[in-house]
Amino acid sequence: MNYGKVTEALVEELRGLLGPKNVICDAERMEAYSHDETSAEEYGHMPDVVVTPTSTDQVTAVVRLANRERIPVTPRGAGSGLSGGAIPSLGGISVSLEKMNKGKGLFYAGYPMSLETCFLGGNIAENAGGGKAVKYGVTSRYVLGLELVTPTGEVVWLGGKLSKDVTGYDLTHLIVGSEGTLGIVTTAIIRLIGLPKAKSDLLVLFRTPAEAIACVPEIIARGTIPVSMEFMDKLSVETSCGYLNESLPYEGCGAMLLIEMDGQDAATVDADAERVGDLCMEKGAIEVYMADNRTTQERVWSVRRNIAEAFKVRCPVQSLEDIVVPTASIPDIIPELDRIAAKYGIAIPCYGHAGDGNLHATLVKDPDMALEVWKKAEPEALEELYAAVTKLGGKISGEHGIGLKRKKYMAEFMSPVEMGLIKAIKMAWDPKGIMNPGKLFDLD
Amino acid sequence: MEILVAIKQVPDTDKVRMDPVTGTMVREGVDTIVNPLDLYAIELAIRLKEQHGGKVTAFTMGPPAADKALKEAIAMGCDAGVLVTDRAFSGSDTWATSYALSRAVAKMGRYDLILAGERATDGDTGQVGPCLAAWLDIPVLTYVGSLESADGGSIVARRLVEEGYQRVRAKMPCLLTVVKEVANPRLPTLRGKKFARQTALAVYGAGDLDADPACLGLKGSPTKVSKIFYPKVTRGGAMVKALDEAGTENAVDELVAFLEARDLIARDVIAREEIAGEGAQR
Repeated sequence: MNYGKVTEALVEELRGLLGPKNVICDAERMEAYSHDETSAEEYGHMPDVVVTPTSTDQVTAVVRLANRERIPVTPRGAGSGLSGGAIPSLGGISVSLEKMNKGKGLFYAGYPMSLETCFLGGNIAENAGGGKAVKYGVTSRYVLGLELVTPTGEVVWLGGKLSKDVTGYDLTHLIVGSEGTLGIVTTAIIRLIGLPKAKSDLLVLFRTPAEAIACVPEIIARGTIPVSMEFMDKLSVETSCGYLNESLPYEGCGAMLLIEMDGQDAATVDADAERVGDLCMEKGAIEVYMADNRTTQERVWSVRRNIAEAFKVRCPVQSLEDIVVPTASIPDIIPELDRIAAKYGIAIPCYGHAGDGNLHATLVKDPDMALEVWKKAEPEALEELYAAVTKLGGKISGEHGIGLKRKKYMAEFMSPVEMGLIKAIKMAWDPKGIMNPGKLFDLD
Repeated sequence: MEILVAIKQVPDTDKVRMDPVTGTMVREGVDTIVNPLDLYAIELAIRLKEQHGGKVTAFTMGPPAADKALKEAIAMGCDAGVLVTDRAFSGSDTWATSYALSRAVAKMGRYDLILAGERATDGDTGQVGPCLAAWLDIPVLTYVGSLESADGGSIVARRLVEEGYQRVRAKMPCLLTVVKEVANPRLPTLRGKKFARQTALAVYGAGDLDADPACLGLKGSPTKVSKIFYPKVTRGGAMVKALDEAGTENAVDELVAFLEARDLIARDVIAREEIAGEGAQR
């Protein structure tokens, strides 16, 4: 697809539309907009110009201009994405919505692990999940309506303050998770719920990952739905504990589950937690630790939250994966990870949202391995990993999205018919192909 | 080995609020936890029991709700709990508290060792442990960082002192206050929590103790709070910020300029360090 160029005249036009301080074109300041949380070296790309609109009208004006001149538009929230969705991979205009990130509310149950940094708009575009999805579901469940600037520069309201709505196609939820390829969300109506008043965490030690995972469907089947069920294999726990200088007693333990229960009163939550703990012991857990106050809860959760950071310290060269398999198939994926890790001489710590079958298996280069060896091993190991995931009926991404990073693997996980439908939708919404081009798939 | 652990229940918060009129701590509406520094004492006690056998009893003075702290200590691995509670104890300062606790210990019977945290995170005095030893007329070792041995009627401990460590032997029974490095506390277990729920606590009121009523509670407390205020911070700080990696160079320059302007570093020192650091991993 041939795109127009960002010329000096066009930048001048943008300045006229948004005011000079909302248009950035010096390289040093634009650098921050050239990458997200994926490796900048591998995926980063500079935009030609960055705009920071302050209103829906300004966003509309920018998109109209881009559509007229056929210039790529890359919407951007906080830049905390993990799939390269906000990277202007074809240059053009980077539309940063940083000045429109406003909200007020109660408890938003979509709780990504990056809660301190991310923006709600980004969560909607990516349909983000997170640690509380077992009980509360992912972002889409909370999006009731949204205002969208379409790729042709029109403003449309989808959905509304309605709990039920079958008036026509559910375009609201077509947009949620569309990775910014169908327009820019400028306002959203989000369902908020009251904060739970009590919570209790269990840290459960198992001899093997298989034993840990086997407990997950059992717990759900017994009817007490935990807020989260996080899985951590031994390598993940050891590395995170080493990084935090924490000493959890994981001798003889091959994997852990971190289970959180919440509710409106402490007595019920405690009773629920005990029942889940009992079940785990019945299923062969070595030990169940309980954390029912802020201090101990912070202690156990910081181990989980710092796994990624701990491995970055060990070796920054890695590939953070986001595979999702049917919950019942998790025990079958673990030996595959071990096999692939051994075959290529890399580490594949595995942790993630066991309650959703969504695991952040991470390929980490051995610090002593030569970079050339890694560069050859990584794609081969990924191919094998994805093949194993497909065989189990799984998919490539549970919550981080396809973006730039995973689009070349889309064909493995999607039938030609489905891919055809997706491309047809894209063409109907965005005939000139300007909105976040190069993400999810390539239009040819 | 018979071990007693003195613990305290404190507000689970980073921001302790004080009532400016009464000069006491506002405890309403704040969740309570076992004083974090007492957890190290509990952990050490449990480890000693695991090595030498015996029994660990946690004890505390506080309102009836302080049973929660004792239950948590039991959930971690203590065997029993004693709650010293009575309206007559309310308003106690460190002197009256340690006196009442000493009378409770006298009632508990034989013991080899009393352990306590170095101080509580709310009152922050660090006095109750040593005072308790004084009332009981037993040796006290404060700021214990590790134990070398604990048998044959005496213990050898390493105390953390300003210049380093001090190795001390003391006859048992004695009292130790411990610092963080003594042992990393374990988390309570599900089994422990169930055991704690089934375990009845011993409850001592003022009438149960062989104590002088004049020495209890507010009227037995020589400490008088005459005024309470928040200190004003008079020092202003300067923040050097780098928004991202690209901004670090500028931030470093800014910081260097700041330090140079105050003659805290010399320009040539920086230059030398840079040369020495070249080739090293950044």
